[in-house]
Amino acid sequence: MSAAEAQTAASAAAADRSARRERRGAPPGEPRRVGYVYVAPALVIYAVFLLFPLVRAVQISFYKWDGLTLGGWVGLRNYADILADPALRAAFGHAAVLVVFFALIPTAVGLVLASVVARARVRGLTFFRTVIFLPQVVAMVVVAVTWRQIYAPDGPINDVLRFVGLGDLARGWLGDFDLALPAVGMVGTWVSIGLCFVLFLAGTGKIPRELYEAARIDGAGPIREFVSVTLPAVRNEIVVALTLTVIAALRTFDLVYVTTGGGPGNATTVPSYEVYRRAFELGAVGSAAAIGVTLTAIILLLNLVIARIGEQP
Amino acid sequence: MRRPHCAAVALTALVIAACAPGSGSAGGDAETPYGAGEINTDPASLGEVTLTVWDQEVRGGQDAQIEALNAAFQDEYPNITIERVSRSFEDLQATLRLAITDDEPPDVVQANNGRADMGAFVQAGLLTNLDPYRAAYAWPDRFPTSILSYSSYTEDGVTFGEGSLWGLPQMGEVVGFYYNKALLAQLGIDAPVTWDDLDAALAAAKAAGQLPLQFGNLEAWPGIHLFGAVQSRYTPADQIRDLGFGRPGAEWTTEENLQAAQTLVDWVDAGYVTPEFNGITPDDAWQAFAQGEGVFMLGGTWLLADLMDAMGDDVGFTVLIAPGTDMPVATGGTSLPFAVTDATEDADAAAAYIDYITSFDAMEIVTEKGNLPVVEASEQQVSASLQGEAFAAWDAVTGSDGLLPYLDYATPNSYDLLTAQVQALMAGETEPSEFLEQLQAEYESFVGG
Amino acid sequence: MISARERTLNYVVLVVFAVYALYPLVMIVDLAVSPDLSGDAAGGLANFEGAWEQGRFGTYLRSSVVVSAITVSIATFLSILSGYAFGTMRFPGRALLFWTMLVGIMVPTEAIVVPLYFDLRALDLTNTYVALILPQVAQSVAFGTFWMRAYFLSSSRDVVEAARIDGAGHWQTLWRVLAPMGRPAIVTLTLLIFMWTWNEFLIPLVMVTSENLRTAPLGLAFFQGQYTSGVALLAAGAVIVALPVVIVYLVLQRHFIQGIVEGSTKG
Repeated sequence: MSAAEAQTAASAAAADRSARRERRGAPPGEPRRVGYVYVAPALVIYAVFLLFPLVRAVQISFYKWDGLTLGGWVGLRNYADILADPALRAAFGHAAVLVVFFALIPTAVGLVLASVVARARVRGLTFFRTVIFLPQVVAMVVVAVTWRQIYAPDGPINDVLRFVGLGDLARGWLGDFDLALPAVGMVGTWVSIGLCFVLFLAGTGKIPRELYEAARIDGAGPIREFVSVTLPAVRNEIVVALTLTVIAALRTFDLVYVTTGGGPGNATTVPSYEVYRRAFELGAVGSAAAIGVTLTAIILLLNLVIARIGEQP
Repeated sequence: MRRPHCAAVALTALVIAACAPGSGSAGGDAETPYGAGEINTDPASLGEVTLTVWDQEVRGGQDAQIEALNAAFQDEYPNITIERVSRSFEDLQATLRLAITDDEPPDVVQANNGRADMGAFVQAGLLTNLDPYRAAYAWPDRFPTSILSYSSYTEDGVTFGEGSLWGLPQMGEVVGFYYNKALLAQLGIDAPVTWDDLDAALAAAKAAGQLPLQFGNLEAWPGIHLFGAVQSRYTPADQIRDLGFGRPGAEWTTEENLQAAQTLVDWVDAGYVTPEFNGITPDDAWQAFAQGEGVFMLGGTWLLADLMDAMGDDVGFTVLIAPGTDMPVATGGTSLPFAVTDATEDADAAAAYIDYITSFDAMEIVTEKGNLPVVEASEQQVSASLQGEAFAAWDAVTGSDGLLPYLDYATPNSYDLLTAQVQALMAGETEPSEFLEQLQAEYESFVGG
Repeated sequence: MISARERTLNYVVLVVFAVYALYPLVMIVDLAVSPDLSGDAAGGLANFEGAWEQGRFGTYLRSSVVVSAITVSIATFLSILSGYAFGTMRFPGRALLFWTMLVGIMVPTEAIVVPLYFDLRALDLTNTYVALILPQVAQSVAFGTFWMRAYFLSSSRDVVEAARIDGAGHWQTLWRVLAPMGRPAIVTLTLLIFMWTWNEFLIPLVMVTSENLRTAPLGLAFFQGQYTSGVALLAAGAVIVALPVVIVYLVLQRHFIQGIVEGSTKG
């Protein structure tokens, strides 16, 4: 669900734009207090099951609480621990590495892919689009179970390496201290590329073909063409893709839970996993809440930053 | 626009100022323990009862015995229905706390003996004190004190090994070396009896181009056992017990423990251990061993049934004699004890169930399905050679007081710490001395000095 | 204008990425119908039967269907209502309320699941469908409100006016005029909520411990640990869990992809 959930978040950036446009234009509809009645049911469930828990999370994060007995006020200690505890710092560091694999690489690859395809009409594009997007709709648990087989010591990756005579490189990818995190990240790359590709394809699809032809007549090579025609046209889509994938990266939970459980050692622990472990296995509920709140703050902040960057002329 | 905003702030402030978490809810109700008079030990008279049981007996033989016992129990007491939920050990670790703190927890759960699980649950008042049942069912006649102590804590959950009884185990566990008889014969070596024998055998296997020691540690718990085994070669048993039970007076940073840690590193460097062991699941490892990859594999008796199934009589089991003594020493204890949750409404039925699956009759079924029963092992008829060797090893170790606790029993964090640290040690990420310092720090902070 | 070489290159690139996307999925399907060394998976479709029984996927799928159906119904209905109000009516506090709901789109489940669990437990609501469904409805209406509002904003004012002149009240205008016209937007919303709910892992992991309420992804994660002698049945289980969403996706892929693209770039 992480990628899909994240999808909604990017929409917020778009809503930002639509809200601003709306302020400029004429207000819709006429004044109607009955609007409250329509909004109320959604708002009540939202307030009770999302907003209130969020506020409670902030409250709990100021306590040392085992989830069973009475909690004790510790002020900002749980937050200080996030900075001081090497294990937690590492978890947030791992999340940052995952951003590279979930967001930056797929965005770059998706861009290249879309711009290559944008230059010519391709028959069967719908088919390719459907297939390349497929990883997005498969449950992350299924993805994780699948890639665990792919990374197994006698799995297909090692088979290929041995087959081409690179058997020395074959290893148990998920059990290697240096490579387990990138290996988990590569799963994210696999999941995200389809999303980025489809988004950028929608963007490049709007580019009038004449623009390319004009650029070519001006003697622009593929790279100039990419920079001056394609890139400006998909700016919005890049913002959206980055928002979605960055959030997906920061929220990775089921993937880690199923593939590595945070191991080897603590090489693949991530904040979401720490939230679960602390709250429900170790009985450090206050600390878990603080990590969750911090994660929320980081996500909101990154959304703002990405939206800002996207707006620069 | 401004007013609702203020209201939101006010609401927030209100909530934050409200009572501390945990003040209103949940947790162990201060129920008075059952007096001996209120106990009912006749399950047939309890009316219609459904017992939800969470166990981790997912492996071949263990699964078979619990299924058989559940069926027999329900046949005998048709008024009781067992709803069985089985989980892998790891998934049980990850979800048991959630389940047991629920308002309607399972009635019976398998809770690991150590402080992270049973100890924490006792402390939080989440388990039913079984002392009244211990007397009513005369369990001390069935189990030696040493076995019962593995499931005993004082009522405050602080002292491990004494006080009240909180659960009962079905099976004995001893961790030893499985060996492939055919491969050993090829090497012209007898089954090792001492650690020196094992050294020689590992070297000979390596020289002959065989994999000396099959090992898969992706799930990280086998690392505890491997370190525990090597530690028992160097470190005196009483010290290991103090460390394992989290009692004051011992030390991790000793010369002996350093030697043990260094041995693991040396084994990896010498190529004795499966390459990429941290990327191999323990299940893949035993399956590879069963197919002839590896001369030895360290493993617990929970693998007996699976390995007999897969290898027949081609596999043996041995525990090694501690240097300077003539007694075998090995990590082990009991299988995870079955405990009764505090919130259950059917404590009588739950206790009756536990009594049933740990009875002498049950031990026969446990044995028949290829497992090691926790008591009366020597009374059982065993045909398979592997099972016979394992029973003999269990008898020898328990008989000579050579059973050492799992090291993760020690403190609430030691399971997480040890699993991660052994992975790091064997991957060369952590130096042996650093490894021991980490463990020492955890131990010190727990025993307070 | 485009050379044949370039056209070929296009196809090569597309085929390479299609294979990259498909390979793991094909592999798991292949594993799912292969026999196992251990012998308790004979191969072929019998593996699915084996997984179904050993992994109890029947129970898990039933629970997934119940949770998804109710979540999708409630969330879609409430989103239409609130989106309608935000998109076509003016009332004091409208902007603030809308922004409040938008924040919900960005709040990760990880942040709210901890207090949610402990509060619901105090109310005796863990291990119920309520605990599985309502938090997911809350997350879905945050997005759904935004999504439906965008549709209602873009709907034609003239149509609404015409309906009103015909004497339709706001309720009739919504259900007789705007909702039928907005079918594509509503279908897409339904699909997205279905997919998120079906695939959700953390909320069911935390909220329920009773076997009868576990959803399919949870069942699969536990089956991986529980099934210790091979991978064929595990792979079969994975296919069973993924299949419902994949089938819906393949049938209605236009709606899915449009939803993702428009949902995130509209405006």
